[in-house]
Amino acid sequence: MRALNIAATGMAAQETNVDVISNNIANMNTIGYKRQEANFEDLLYEDVKRPGAQSSDQGTVIPTGIQIGAGVQTASIYRITLQGSLTNTGNQLDLAINNGGYFQVLLPSGEYAYTRAGNFSLNDVGTLVTSDGYPVYPQITIPQTATQVSISTSGQVQVTLPGQAATSQVGQLQLANFANPAGLEAIGSNLFLVSGASGPAVTGVPASSGFGTIQQGFTEASNVDSVTEISNLIIAQRAYEMNSKVITTADQMLQSTNQMKS
Amino acid sequence: MDNTLYVGLSRQNVLQRALDIAANNIANQDTVGFKVEELTDRTDTIAPPRFTSNLSPVNYVLDSSVARDFGQGELSQTGNPMDMALQGPGFFTVQTANGPRYTRDGRFTLDAQSQIVDQKGEPVLSTAGTPIVVDPQKGPVTIAKDGSVSQSANGQSSQIAKIGVVQFANLSALSKQGSNQYLETSGQTAVPVTNAKMMQGWVEHSNVNPVKEVTSLISISRAYDRMQDIMSSTQDLSSKAVDALGQLQQ
Repeated sequence: MRALNIAATGMAAQETNVDVISNNIANMNTIGYKRQEANFEDLLYEDVKRPGAQSSDQGTVIPTGIQIGAGVQTASIYRITLQGSLTNTGNQLDLAINNGGYFQVLLPSGEYAYTRAGNFSLNDVGTLVTSDGYPVYPQITIPQTATQVSISTSGQVQVTLPGQAATSQVGQLQLANFANPAGLEAIGSNLFLVSGASGPAVTGVPASSGFGTIQQGFTEASNVDSVTEISNLIIAQRAYEMNSKVITTADQMLQSTNQMKS
Repeated sequence: MDNTLYVGLSRQNVLQRALDIAANNIANQDTVGFKVEELTDRTDTIAPPRFTSNLSPVNYVLDSSVARDFGQGELSQTGNPMDMALQGPGFFTVQTANGPRYTRDGRFTLDAQSQIVDQKGEPVLSTAGTPIVVDPQKGPVTIAKDGSVSQSANGQSSQIAKIGVVQFANLSALSKQGSNQYLETSGQTAVPVTNAKMMQGWVEHSNVNPVKEVTSLISISRAYDRMQDIMSSTQDLSSKAVDALGQLQQ
C-alpha cells in the first residue's frame, strides 16, 4: 500500500507551502521584502509495466504502461522579484529603487550584501548606513553642517551647506544587478548575498541601462498581496485535508483486510 | 469455492493500485503542469482449475494501463516574468544530462549564465534546439504568445530566439520521469508545434479535479469492502458446508 506514503509526501508538501505563505504574511510590512512561492514536482515513478516495452516476439509493444507515482516533493522555493509599490515617507534618507537593481551594503565581515530596503539613516560620523548600521557602498558621508540632502533619480547625493547658494555633491550611489536576482541567497535583515545561481554582481549608476531610478523620500513596500496569500492558505489547507482523507481511506481498507476471519 | 477468493483478491490488488494512483493525483494537485492519471482495468478470462466444458470460465481482474488525461490545466497569473503557461497541446523541451525531456511545467528562471532554465537548472530549448541566452545588460525579457523571446535596448527591440514547443502523435508512449518531466519511449519524433500559444507571467496548474479524486477514494474503499464481504461470506459458506457434511447422520 503505497498510498499511505504518497499521502504523507502530499501532507509534507502542503506543510512547506503553509510555512512559505505564513512567512510572506508575516513580512507583509517589511520594506523591500519579495514574496516567495513553493514550487512542487512529482517524485519518481515505478514502472509496473513500462510503456513501449515489447509484449511479444512479433515486435508488438505495450501502448500505455502502468506507472505508479511516489508522491510529490518541493522542487524550489523561489522569490518573485516583482516591484513593490512605493510608499511616501517624507524622510529624506529613505530611498526606493524603481525597477531593477540592489543597494550595496558593506558587511562587518568585509563581504558585500545587497538589499532593496532603502530605509537608511546616518551614523555618528555622518555616513549613510542601513537600519543595522552597515555602511552603504560606495560610502557617502553627509557633512554635519548640511541643512538639506537631496538625492537625484540617478543617485547623485547633493547637500546644501549654510551660507552657500549652490548645492555641492558629496557622493554618487551605485546599484548592483544580477543575471538571476531570484537566485540571491537571503541572509535575513532584508539582505542578500551573491550565490552561484545569481551570477556575479554587475554594478552601475542608477537610471543607466538595466538599472532602476532612485526615488528619495519613498520606501519600497513588500510585494505581498494579502488576498492572494489568504486564498493560497485556504487552498493549501484543503489540499492537506484531502491528503489526510487518502490516509483514512487506505487505513480503512487495511482494517477491513485485517478483520477477515481466518 | 477457492475461485471466489482468488477473483476477490485480484480485484483487491487492482483497487490498492488504483488507490495509489488516486493518492499520487491528490498529492500532486498543486504541482504545476501535472497531468491526472487513472488506472484502467480489464477482465482476464482464465479457465478455472477444475474446468469442465459446461462451466463458464472465471474472470479475474487485472490492471491494464494507466490512462493519462493531457487536458489543459487551469491557468493562473503569478506575475513572474519567467513563468510560462502553454495553452493548448504541446510540451517544452529541456536539455538534461540524459537527453531531452518534455514538460508542461513552465516555471522557468535565468541561471548565472543568463540562460533560460527550468527549476532544476536545465536549459530550455529553442525551436532551433539550442539553449536560449539573454543579455542581462539589456532591458526586461518579453516572451510573445508564439514563444518569441525578445529584449529591448535603447528603444530597439530585438528577437533572441523562439521557445520550442513540440507535440507527439502518440501521447501514451510518454513515460513520466518525476520532476514534472516526460521521456519519449517509442522512438517517435517530436513534431514542432508551429501555432503554439503561451502566456508570459502565468503558470498552468495541475488538471487534478479534487472533487473527482475524493469521490474515487470513496468508491475505491467501498468496492474494497464489498469484495471483502463477498470473500467473508464465501468462507462462511465453505465452513458451514464442512460442518454440515461432517455431521454424522443418525
